[in-house]
Amino acid sequence: MKLWQKASLLCGSVLLAVVAACSAILLSYARGTMLDLAEDQTLERAEDLASSFQSMTSYYLLDADTEAVRDSLVRYCFERFAGADGVLMLDGEVICTRQTLDPSGALPASELAAGTQVVPMRDGDRDMLAGGCGAFVGGREYAVYAIRDVTAIRQSARTMAGAFVLVSLLGILAGTALLTALMRRSTRSLRELAAAARRIAGGEYGCRADVTVRDETGELAADFNTMAAAVQSRVDELEDTAARQALFIGGVTHEFKTPLTSMLLHTELLRSANMTEAERDRSLALIEDQARWLERLTQTLLKLLTLRQDIPMEDTPLPELLADVRAAAEPALTARGVALHVSCAGGTARVNRDLMRSLLVNLTDNAAKSYDPGTAGAAVWLTARDGAIEVLDRGRGIPPEALPHIFEPFYMADKSRSKKQGGSGLGLALVKAIADAHGAKIEVVSAPGAGTSVRVLLPLQNDYNELIDSPPSPGP
Amino acid sequence: MKNRILIVEDDPGIAGAVALNMQFVGYDYALFDDGRAAAESLAGDHAYDLALLDIMLPGMDGFELFGYMEKYGIPVIYMTAKTDSASEIRGLRDGAEDYIVKPFDVLTLMVRIEKVLRRTGRLNTVFRVRDVEVNSETRTVTKGGQPVDLQPMEFDVLLLLLRYKNLTVSREQFLSEIWGCDFLGETRAIDMKIAGLRKKLDLGDAIKSIPKRGYRLEDR
Repeated sequence: MKLWQKASLLCGSVLLAVVAACSAILLSYARGTMLDLAEDQTLERAEDLASSFQSMTSYYLLDADTEAVRDSLVRYCFERFAGADGVLMLDGEVICTRQTLDPSGALPASELAAGTQVVPMRDGDRDMLAGGCGAFVGGREYAVYAIRDVTAIRQSARTMAGAFVLVSLLGILAGTALLTALMRRSTRSLRELAAAARRIAGGEYGCRADVTVRDETGELAADFNTMAAAVQSRVDELEDTAARQALFIGGVTHEFKTPLTSMLLHTELLRSANMTEAERDRSLALIEDQARWLERLTQTLLKLLTLRQDIPMEDTPLPELLADVRAAAEPALTARGVALHVSCAGGTARVNRDLMRSLLVNLTDNAAKSYDPGTAGAAVWLTARDGAIEVLDRGRGIPPEALPHIFEPFYMADKSRSKKQGGSGLGLALVKAIADAHGAKIEVVSAPGAGTSVRVLLPLQNDYNELIDSPPSPGP
Repeated sequence: MKNRILIVEDDPGIAGAVALNMQFVGYDYALFDDGRAAAESLAGDHAYDLALLDIMLPGMDGFELFGYMEKYGIPVIYMTAKTDSASEIRGLRDGAEDYIVKPFDVLTLMVRIEKVLRRTGRLNTVFRVRDVEVNSETRTVTKGGQPVDLQPMEFDVLLLLLRYKNLTVSREQFLSEIWGCDFLGETRAIDMKIAGLRKKLDLGDAIKSIPKRGYRLEDR
């Protein structure tokens, strides 16, 4: 059973009970009041009748009158006053009336001597009241009665009860209908909320409950929507991460497939074709090349993957760090005919020494590769100052459209040249990952044909002042 | 007439292997490692029977290059590491003849090339080795201009050796291509046919036995 049905049914029942009880009390009170009034009026009439009869009869009656005279006088006088409702009794006998009703059975006349009495009676299907009063004439004790028909009162009470029931029922029906409508309206918000919850559970994370009422349901809906938004943003985040991971894995797969294809093709040729000695040597050298490249790619990948864990940091003097970089990078640069200029004002930075060295060697290497082989005066400047380490070259630069993508895994601005230089497409991705692990920012400024500046902004340290104390000098 | 094939592949290892392969089995080829350079060269020379295109290429990607191939009516087989279905659908909907996913092997590539050449009616039907000429269409063989009578099986063995010239054809390959894959007979049958061919065509030293593997028709 729905909530609105339960609430309507319950409220309807309570309403019915209360209205019925109230109506019953009210009706019985009204009926009692009307009957009391009727009794009073009947009694008053009886007293009037008795007193008029008594005084008139006393006036006309003489002591000398015979019994016959007296009886007829008494009847005469009573009839003068009494209408259709009067009854005159003497010693329990009706002596004068126009009524068919005989109250004698119900009324012991002797008691009327003490006072008055009202007695309900029935005449066929009519309800009657008889009011009695004593009257003393000529030493005799008469009883005077007034009879009143109260059928109308009882009937009107019944009619009223009927009207009451009708009005009450209509009221209850209307009230219940109103309540039902209200409850349905209130619970409609709940139903909408439930529908929204089901849709979200079904995967429509963008779904929201459209509830505008400003009651508790509205508050619940607002909270629900807040929750749904939180869930959606988390799901979006997870999907985004999954998509990026899928992209990365796709990139890795692609990068593996090309050398693998090449190795497989050459192996097959070596096995089944009649090749010359020179062709054989070339194929073998190619396979070896590709295998070594795969090995390098695997190493870089491993570094990238393990970087996601916490890395230990230590306070490292910058001159030592840069000396490490020089030692690691210089042989390759010298072989290319590229000079390396290192300058450092001093200071320390809190870094992971191995990783930061790897980052800087990578950047230095990239900078050296930006020169065409044999370029005169080719040089890379490695400078630490103002809390940043800059790697600068005057090589070919990066095209503006490539600049936003250079840190993406497997992105190569010039694929064929990178490949020839043994680039995996992961170098800068690794640089970015290491910088992120240090909370460091990387700024790249480049102009095609003019060179590239890559600045690694180290996070603020306690001894940052020491770094900026070094005299700032204009850029090269 | 040798079939002529355009290869556009930027990885020197793959390009080298494919080119070597073409050379062995007797296709002429032209090799480019840059999409744009390949497209521009077509204006001067577009007498190709087939193009093997990589998709991720410097200069111009394989899909774009396809437009040029279409213009000159050159059928295309894509060679790519892209396995996602989106690029496959795009490649084939654009009208490429076939699609081969890296890593692939030599035999697969050769079979695909042959299929496309046959479907487009460009497959070379005349093979030559020394003074022997074989026409796969008319199933005739001449030696020094004189017709030679070969058993049907001998002819099939010779044709297979010619199709994979300079490559080793394994006994399994002979069995599955000529005798049918459900043939459970002896490989002795192959040796008999080879012996017949060597004798009738005087190719004793050209048809080499490769121990434990099969036979190879050498022509270089």
